[in-house]
Amino acid sequence: MKRKIVHPSPSQRELAGPRYWRSLGELASTPGFKAHLEREFPEGASSLDGVDRRHFLKIMAASFALGGVGLAGCRRPESNILPFSKSVEGIIPGLPLYYATAMPLRKSAIPLLAETHQGRPTKLEGNPAYAPHGGASSLLTQASVLDLYDPDRAAAHTQNGAVLTPAAVSDLLAGIGTKYAPALGAGLAFLAGESSSPTRARLVRELRTKYPNALWAEYEPVADEPTAAAAHAVFHRNVKPLYQFAKARRIVSIDADFFHAESGALYYAREFAKGRRVKDKDDSMNRLYVAESGLTLTGSMADHRLRLASSHMLALVAALAGKVTGDPIYASFAEGLDVKPEWIAECAADLSAFKGESLVLAGAHLPPEVHWMTHAINAALNNFGSTIELLEVPAPEAASIADVAAAIRNGAVQTLVILGGNPAYNAPAELNWSELQKSVTDVVRLGLHVDETGTLAGTQIAAAHYLESWGDARTADGTVVPVQPMILPLFGGLTEIEVIARIAGQPNSDPYAMVYATITGVAGGNPEKAFQRFLYDGFLENSAYAKVSVDFDDAALKNPAAAAPLPSLSKDHLEVRFVTDHKMDDGRFANNGWLQECPDPITKISWDNAILVSPRLAKDLGIGSNGAVLQVARDETQNFVKGKEGAPIAEVVLGDRRIRGPVHIQVGLSNYTIILPLGYGRTVSGRIGQGAGFSAYPLRESGTPHVAVGATLRLTGETMVLADTQEHWSMEGRDLVREANFDEYRENPGYVKEEGMESETPSVLDGPVGVQGGNMTPAERAAQIPRGNSLYVTPKLDGVHQWGMSIDLNTCIGCNACVVACQAENNIPIVGRDQAIRGREMYWIRLDRYYSDGRADAGAFGGEGNREVPEDPQISLQPVACMQCELAPCEMVCPVNATIHDEEGLNVMAYNRCIGTRYCANNCPYKVRRFNYFDWNKRHIDNFYMGPLGPDGMPELLKMVKNPEVSVRMRGVMEKCTYCVQRVENGKIQWKVKAAREGRPGDVVVPDGTIKTACQQVCPVEAIVFGNILDPESAVSQAKARAQDYSLLGYLNTRPRTTYLGKLRNPNPRMPDYNALPFSRIEHNSKSIPAGFDEGKTS
Amino acid sequence: MSNLFPKSANRLPLQIIIYLFVLGGVATAGVTYYMTPKYTRVGYAPVQPVPFSHALHAGQLGIDCRYCHSYVERSGFANLPTAQTCMNCHNQIKTTSPLLAVVRQSYESGQPVPWVQVHQLPDFAYFNHAVHIARGVSCVECHGRIDQMDVVEHAKPLSMSFCLQCHRDPAGHLRPRDQVTNLAWHASSPEAQLEMGTKFVHDWNVNPPQTCSGCHR
Repeated sequence: MKRKIVHPSPSQRELAGPRYWRSLGELASTPGFKAHLEREFPEGASSLDGVDRRHFLKIMAASFALGGVGLAGCRRPESNILPFSKSVEGIIPGLPLYYATAMPLRKSAIPLLAETHQGRPTKLEGNPAYAPHGGASSLLTQASVLDLYDPDRAAAHTQNGAVLTPAAVSDLLAGIGTKYAPALGAGLAFLAGESSSPTRARLVRELRTKYPNALWAEYEPVADEPTAAAAHAVFHRNVKPLYQFAKARRIVSIDADFFHAESGALYYAREFAKGRRVKDKDDSMNRLYVAESGLTLTGSMADHRLRLASSHMLALVAALAGKVTGDPIYASFAEGLDVKPEWIAECAADLSAFKGESLVLAGAHLPPEVHWMTHAINAALNNFGSTIELLEVPAPEAASIADVAAAIRNGAVQTLVILGGNPAYNAPAELNWSELQKSVTDVVRLGLHVDETGTLAGTQIAAAHYLESWGDARTADGTVVPVQPMILPLFGGLTEIEVIARIAGQPNSDPYAMVYATITGVAGGNPEKAFQRFLYDGFLENSAYAKVSVDFDDAALKNPAAAAPLPSLSKDHLEVRFVTDHKMDDGRFANNGWLQECPDPITKISWDNAILVSPRLAKDLGIGSNGAVLQVARDETQNFVKGKEGAPIAEVVLGDRRIRGPVHIQVGLSNYTIILPLGYGRTVSGRIGQGAGFSAYPLRESGTPHVAVGATLRLTGETMVLADTQEHWSMEGRDLVREANFDEYRENPGYVKEEGMESETPSVLDGPVGVQGGNMTPAERAAQIPRGNSLYVTPKLDGVHQWGMSIDLNTCIGCNACVVACQAENNIPIVGRDQAIRGREMYWIRLDRYYSDGRADAGAFGGEGNREVPEDPQISLQPVACMQCELAPCEMVCPVNATIHDEEGLNVMAYNRCIGTRYCANNCPYKVRRFNYFDWNKRHIDNFYMGPLGPDGMPELLKMVKNPEVSVRMRGVMEKCTYCVQRVENGKIQWKVKAAREGRPGDVVVPDGTIKTACQQVCPVEAIVFGNILDPESAVSQAKARAQDYSLLGYLNTRPRTTYLGKLRNPNPRMPDYNALPFSRIEHNSKSIPAGFDEGKTS
Repeated sequence: MSNLFPKSANRLPLQIIIYLFVLGGVATAGVTYYMTPKYTRVGYAPVQPVPFSHALHAGQLGIDCRYCHSYVERSGFANLPTAQTCMNCHNQIKTTSPLLAVVRQSYESGQPVPWVQVHQLPDFAYFNHAVHIARGVSCVECHGRIDQMDVVEHAKPLSMSFCLQCHRDPAGHLRPRDQVTNLAWHASSPEAQLEMGTKFVHDWNVNPPQTCSGCHR
């Protein structure tokens, strides 16, 4: 039975407030869309149109009655409340509804709960019922809700420019089916992206049965799972590894960015953090060895990081395998490796000491031989079954894009159906896809955008966003999850499975029915109940891929012929590494403003990508080597002016292909590897994605999709400005991120107290951290140690809750998910490239990334200062949002009391009071206040300076993503992190209502864990804890009670409510690159402690 | 030398002064009235598309507020009844009344009845009905005797000072929770109200927010 989806109408409040729906019709360029719209928002579309004369007189009559002057109508315009005509089950106006769904990406998916307000999804959260993710989600999922409301989406089905009705599309697709039925599909080819959907797999099987001669190919430009061959050759079965990081105490990553680039990254990051988190000195802590060519977030967490070209990884892993297994067959592969033998020997020894508790993994982009060897190492270490599980996956059946290209060239393709993807943009360069595609007579393309591929296709079918689609998918471990629509397709888009079903001539191409059939077929039992359960839980229980135990067979390795000499790299023979961009992925998110503006977690560049080069290469090229002064970790060699990075433009030549792009010097890179982030330089995208960055795809060929060797880099002499949101590289020897080695921590868990200004000048007013007042409640402290000699009244802080936050720097991986989650929750606007260059980005939480190499500031006391850009620095990451200081410096300087304290310790902003003096931002030591220089929400992103003369208004569609619980700020007001005050207040209200209904009206203290801030909820590693610090049992109190707890700039006596837990590193003392102190500590000491001073002090 | 100015110009300075005084007076009066919280819409009673009488339904017939405003105890927003709710009774009573034509039409067509909003707070103020009901604040505190109104009118100022008056001293405005929707109820005397209210404030831990975050987000 088909379930009827009754979509909620906009709430009365929305309609009474800003009229989001009123001019949505303006977007309706086609009658088809209009019809859909009418169905979707029956109320909004037709009854809110302008005020007629009769109506006007009514208003005027009321106004005259009121004041005698017609001005009353000016002050408060009449607005309507539009209730439903018929009551809708489950909808309560004013309260959000949550549905389980999932975001599919390639061969995996992230299960989600979508928050919908009267029918429009506004925020996505991880589904807490899915245990492996525990309610966390990722950067891309957070931002994907914005894609739904992208005004540049394909708004209609078109054929050669003419709009097609839904009925015509249906006929067209069925027509393809009937046309090719007699020839059993000969002449018909499909090119799709990878998918984990069981329904799609079923339909494709049926399609292949019906059209055995048709070509079904799949293409993904980036790889997030090792190829099937990587496992099949050594296991003789179709398996894929699933790593169990929580069980691993020694981890070696061979160029694998498992925090981001591997499928299952969210699960991996989470599990990794479990092994990383140290709550007291008896806890164990995992140790991470990373060998990588670029600098990734995974590398930034490494305890030992080896810079090595990706093309040399095979040699490294062979050397490691040789050491671990003692088998000589690996020796030939390892020849020519330029890595200290002790590094490998000690690493291998460390692994061998943790048999069954260690893990070696290699990046998906590396050749199968590397994976064979990591499997060999893991087999020798007995890791299979403990830290690695092998999951039986379906055998790959699809052809490749090269097969499609060959078929087209042979004239064997008359109709090409492209489902998703964007081959005209990202296909391997040698295929010359655009020309190929043009040579096919009939191209039908299903796409979310009319992009590079869509403009070349004869027929473009608008695709439905996943939040508009019925579908299914599998997570990285194979658990089947539903993809539920939150809203009817805004542009009448079709889903992939609908298109396949129609071409295959399925009698019922309704996606709901197809998913229902698939799931009930798998689930068994009462189908209706099973399906409801599936939708309710958000996943199908026990549907994960089967764990299998297979024997490792090293026959494939006993073939030394495969060993090729290592390429020798130099400045004239560079290695090129193409990486999946953190934000754009492979380019599919290019028109997402939240992602474009979000700074790259490592380079901190927003709105652009850059050719990343190592400091050595930069020196060779003659950029960035002149004029270095003492504190060089702050890179004074580059042309930085207040966030504007003047980057030289270079040309990369690889064979006879070339691309141009700005050069950014990135520390931590392998000397002669250049990193090219993919996903930028879209030529047909939308108003956001167009023109951002350069495309590295023209350099890529099928044979070397991820790593290529033999490139040269040539400076063109031109420069361009990059929006670099953190030009400052160094902590300058200050104590912002406090670090220690694990061994030191075990002897002295309170190391954070001995580092930094507080160790010399402790805060007299400090909170839980400090010497005095540590055991008092905030209220007692406020009364007994008030702000000294100030005219300003110290806030009483007498509420029943006192909110606080703790951020664990030891587990924070710097993924930026909190940044965009905060943006989605708090209606934070994007400001555009031009304004980002001016440093006006609006993020309420930012991630600071610092480098330290132990040499900066050595010159402060006359020593030899560092004059080089560090090549091998340590990285420290720190999320910074408003600290909610109890004695907030911002409050003292506000002339209009727009920022004051509430009873529960929040430093609150009243936007309607703010007059925009910006004194508060100037007086904030943490620099977390953001000013609305323009009407970001009202003006167009490229026309801010036109003011009222410029075009007015944001696309109506974009307003739909706004959270109705948070004010949209206007020009001229200050804003900042509020600890998600809307969640706090609503949480308290819901609790009071519930308690009163249950007859306990006096119970007003919200239990711990009920209220979560957006950043806390999204955090994949649970680094952020928020709660009531008055409750000693609350998670936040427990976190703050830990010895590593410290306040940022605590000596300023601001009493921050957000405190940090110090970072730990766990280096191996036997390794050649061991350092007894973290580099930042060395820098701190050399700055604060002159030689010979305070001999006894060692910290 | 001829006169540059006509004789009437002699009166000009006085005229200008008087004019400025009048202008200043009007501006001051206007600002005082319109640009301060004193200006509220008390008395505003727009004509509604359906001449629904609360005096009849809630007053005479005694229908509880929550029959129509059904989610007021759960949601921040006191919902208006759907046409279906009206039709629960009116498919039996007054089935052909021309006054109800709009409701019947809405029920059949699916188009909403465009009720005119009477009580309206600024967009940056987030009022929550559910919590006030739960804490024993009666409808009548903000909406007045709706059960005596034929046409709903704006009875109280609903300005920030109005809100704060109660948030600063809630004792005078709390009542037993089962009397919240009984608009006619009142304590036997002001003293009794105060005594009872004080007890509720204590027993229920009533501590209404007085800082920005209570209402502004």
